[in-house]
Amino acid sequence: MKKVYLPVVLLVILSVFITACGKTESQSADKNEISGTITFLTNRTDMIGEKYDDYAKRFNEKYPDAHVEFEAVTDLDKTTKIRVGSGEFPDVVLIPTIPNSDLPKYFAPLDDLGLNDRIYFKDYKSFENKVYGISVGATTTGILYNKKAFADAGITTVPQTLDEFYAAADKLKAAGKVALASNFKDQWTLYPWSSEIPTAIAGDADLNNNRLQSDAPYQLDNPYGQSMGIIRNMYEKGYLEPDINSTNWEQSKKDIASGKFAMYVIGNWAIPQVIESGTDSANIGYFPFPYDNSDKHNVTLAPDWAYGVNKNSEHPATAKAFVKWMLEDSGFDDFAGFIPVLKDKKPAVTQLTEFNSFKPKYLEAVSDDPKVTAIVNKAQITKEAFVQEFVLASDPQTIIDKYNAAWANAKKSLGN
Amino acid sequence: MSHISYPLQRKFILISFLLIPLALLALFTYYPAMRLVYLSFTSWDGISPVKEWLGLGNYIEIFTNPDLFGVFLHQIPYVLIGIIQNIVAIVFAVILNSKLRGRNFFRVMLFLPFIMNAVAVAFMFQYVFDTTNGSLNGLLGLVGLESWQQSWLGNASLVNYALASIGFWRFMGYNMVIYLGALQSIPGDMYEAAKIDGASRFQMLWSLTIPNLTPIISLNMFLTLSGALAVFDLPFVLTKGGPAGASETFLFKTIETAFQFNNYGLASAMSVVLLLFTAIILLVQNLVINRKGD
Repeated sequence: MKKVYLPVVLLVILSVFITACGKTESQSADKNEISGTITFLTNRTDMIGEKYDDYAKRFNEKYPDAHVEFEAVTDLDKTTKIRVGSGEFPDVVLIPTIPNSDLPKYFAPLDDLGLNDRIYFKDYKSFENKVYGISVGATTTGILYNKKAFADAGITTVPQTLDEFYAAADKLKAAGKVALASNFKDQWTLYPWSSEIPTAIAGDADLNNNRLQSDAPYQLDNPYGQSMGIIRNMYEKGYLEPDINSTNWEQSKKDIASGKFAMYVIGNWAIPQVIESGTDSANIGYFPFPYDNSDKHNVTLAPDWAYGVNKNSEHPATAKAFVKWMLEDSGFDDFAGFIPVLKDKKPAVTQLTEFNSFKPKYLEAVSDDPKVTAIVNKAQITKEAFVQEFVLASDPQTIIDKYNAAWANAKKSLGN
Repeated sequence: MSHISYPLQRKFILISFLLIPLALLALFTYYPAMRLVYLSFTSWDGISPVKEWLGLGNYIEIFTNPDLFGVFLHQIPYVLIGIIQNIVAIVFAVILNSKLRGRNFFRVMLFLPFIMNAVAVAFMFQYVFDTTNGSLNGLLGLVGLESWQQSWLGNASLVNYALASIGFWRFMGYNMVIYLGALQSIPGDMYEAAKIDGASRFQMLWSLTIPNLTPIISLNMFLTLSGALAVFDLPFVLTKGGPAGASETFLFKTIETAFQFNNYGLASAMSVVLLLFTAIILLVQNLVINRKGD
């Protein structure tokens, strides 16, 4: 091994020289002053040179000594994870999927921002009572629909129960439309059926974590089976795309916008994307998913990526001020169609106002139990693939059994 | 410098010129490869500083878990289509090696798919294989073969052949160009001699062309087989391994294991297994072909 290190050492020395040459700014500023230039690593490549230019300018107006630069990557989680792991990463990042117990190793606590009592998901990225990450916004899951498609099919009121929902789907089918765009083939679009909707049915944000107590967490008649049963039923009745194994997510947004497809079961983040695909905001509506025949609706409230501040940042005060500015003043949540993570801020998106008019009960997401994540990874369960197999199988019980067996095996081998 | 002898100077120059490329090679090829082997014996999760030593645990897991090893069955269609691809490539090479009008045009046309970006090709075929709006089903409908219209990527027994046929479309021209080059290196007087002896065209192909092509066929078969073992881009872009896992491949599983399930140790072991398989194929193929040659 010794020989291997030599070239590494040489290269490191070389790169230190090169970076040293590049540094012209002196780094003598006080750490508590809001000044200097910080970098924010983001996943919004589309906002570089557009909205971010405006943010940089406005941030600088508020803090004349401070500048922010933006770096965007498409493969956020992988890239950030590697860079965080190496210890060299920008001042502000979106925290990648690492265990919460590792957060203090890389990130600075954000408790001194004074936001703890005002935000959702305070405990989501925290460890030992310190908050290390604040979500950029919150999303809920519901039904996004094309109002004109509903009107064309003669649906006058938004379905409030599961029976009404099936009836509406039937009318849409009769009108020659795809009632619900599942984007089945694309797989990731099926996530609500295996996590959000079961959680809403159970009325318990801890549903996914409670799997830890069971050797057979999936049953046909429990929330998971009920939820997947709904999409299976939709498939059998022909309410989904004509061939669910040949769907196209990008195309489906245009089809929803044009009214060829009527509904999505999806997060509210999709609203601006559908509107951009060629329709008016007024034509797109959003309502809670009626998973049963009662008139009460639970909906999940889930965090998005969370801002984290590099604990070795040269300008920690500036980085923190930037996080606070993003949450309070930037208007990013409205721009991106999020529910603001600050509880006292109302969403500006009209579709969310419509959604809230149905008085849904929000279930605030809890962070994943690392033990549950470990079992899922060990058993190699892709929750969306589970939905696919459940829908396509001739007997869904066999799929339930298969996943329960994988779950129980993994659980046993990890000693839980 | 003048007091150093000439051979020493020469050595010094050689070493100093080689140092940087060798350092880069070691740093970006051999070091990662050795790390990969080392990681394959651990349970590393991709970020934790602790790497628990598992010994052969990961390898035992690969060979005993049908979910991991069984996906090699999905890659048989790629091998079958790859063999057909080589036969067709030889046929085209022989045809385009004769004096044919516009042969350069045909060569370029057949080679073009190879220079296209793999992911772009996959996206393109998404529209070809689309069930409702796809051009393939459209064509079948147009010529009155509605009964042949299929969910090409949604039928579990068909999906791997559909995907492999994209590989055929893409790599046939590449194989053909290699065969063409080999054909052109066969001396013309051998054909002349054969003609004088009264050999038919087929006899010339079978007893003269093919034996002369053997090393190139072996090279192309190796490229095809190792390509079939390492298929990843097509199912990743087109089917995400679906329907219900029918088009998952070993490399697809490896990437999933590493980047979705954060089990870098197991994924490293899977990469090493794939590497060993490729080496074994090369070895077996060499043995078979060399024995024939002796």
